Amino acid sequence: MKFVDEFRDAALGEKLSAEIASIVEPGRHYKIMEVCGGHTHTIYRYGIDDLLPANVELVHGPGCPVCVIPMGRVDDGVAIARHADVILTCFGDMMRVPGGNGSFLDAKAAGADIRMVYSPLDALRIAREHPDRQVVFFAIGFETTAPSTALTVLRARAEGIRNFTVMCNHVTILPPLRALLESPDLRLDGFIGPGHVCTVVGARPFEFIATQYHKPVAVSGFEPLDFLQSVYMVLKQLADGRCEVENQYTRVVPYDGNLQALKLLSQVFELRPHFEWRGLGFISQSALQLAPEFREYDAEIRFAVPGIRVADPKACQCGEVLKGVIKPWECKVFGTACTPEHPIGTCMVSSEGACAAYYNFGRVARERVVV
Amino acid sequence: MRVTSVDDTCGIAVCVGERGSAIEVMIALVSAVRIGDVLLVHAGTALTRLAPA
Ligand code: SF4
Repeated sequence: MKFVDEFRDAALGEKLSAEIASIVEPGRHYKIMEVCGGHTHTIYRYGIDDLLPANVELVHGPGCPVCVIPMGRVDDGVAIARHADVILTCFGDMMRVPGGNGSFLDAKAAGADIRMVYSPLDALRIAREHPDRQVVFFAIGFETTAPSTALTVLRARAEGIRNFTVMCNHVTILPPLRALLESPDLRLDGFIGPGHVCTVVGARPFEFIATQYHKPVAVSGFEPLDFLQSVYMVLKQLADGRCEVENQYTRVVPYDGNLQALKLLSQVFELRPHFEWRGLGFISQSALQLAPEFREYDAEIRFAVPGIRVADPKACQCGEVLKGVIKPWECKVFGTACTPEHPIGTCMVSSEGACAAYYNFGRVARERVVV
Repeated sequence: MRVTSVDDTCGIAVCVGERGSAIEVMIALVSAVRIGDVLLVHAGTALTRLAPA
């Protein structure tokens, strides 16, 4: 299949692996963060870390949209869903995210009308089909997903649909990266940029990482050869003493992003002053809410939302995993009390979560096969 | 996903994915979508064209 097979060629992968081995300095330990949960999934699905030299460590970043939803937001969603006339809709990944009082799936089992949708457009269709009900879309995701929510709100307004609202949990990727770069906990050598987010925002907004923090960035696609090539690009910059933003994913990512999508986002949304990230705490200007012109579609205004804050369970170390400070298997409950069937933390729920990737692809201990 | 039909008035295309399932996709962010185009789709919205028809 075009765009797939040519990026999964094992022989080319081995060549790239050898190229990478040839440019790393023996004795130096490299830490490269892949920002996006989609990349974490690619790494373990294809065993990419086994193709890297032992002194190149991949550190998993905060770019899994489900993983960063704090427990309180789940509880707020459940509070809305408990209204008798409400149908709460969300992506499938959200259903099992634990809140302080259970997940959406638990609330559904207890009688709330909560439905999985593929896109916000499906939620709008449900609103059209049930004019006597209030349909709420629990919106999550980074800049990649936010345009879909924005277009759906515009569509609802154009069609005069009044029984549709959005509980907006969209987040933006740059503020947590800046927070990580400021953190004394973590010494990183470079970043693999999130290809799909960059389809919308472009590669340019990541330039501050190179100019202010002197770390190389390669924006990467999601096939195994994309990722290996991006690791090579970061290591090559380090070998050459360069710090730039390079775009490996040129077949998809325009350097300045999708200008129509950016215009749409600034029309429909505005930045929240601050937003709580699971495990990372409150980060200023790191999330979106509907702009004043669209407040009638804001579920948090239409419904009384308790604004619950819930501390993560003591055993949960998702924050450390999301910051790349520990590996999933270093969490005490990994694979025992916390599994994909019975998750304690969000990183075990989503397929993009680092803990789920490690668990599902058998990375349950520290051993690593190195070629 | 490959475009199988386009409704320009509604800004919607029907697209078929790797596994053959068809979904409605909003196409407002990609110009002049045509049948046979391959689109990168995220949460029901086309974000870019990977290959023209
Ligand atoms: S194993 Fe579970 S609790 Fe521990 S960090 Fe991963 S998701 Fe969180």
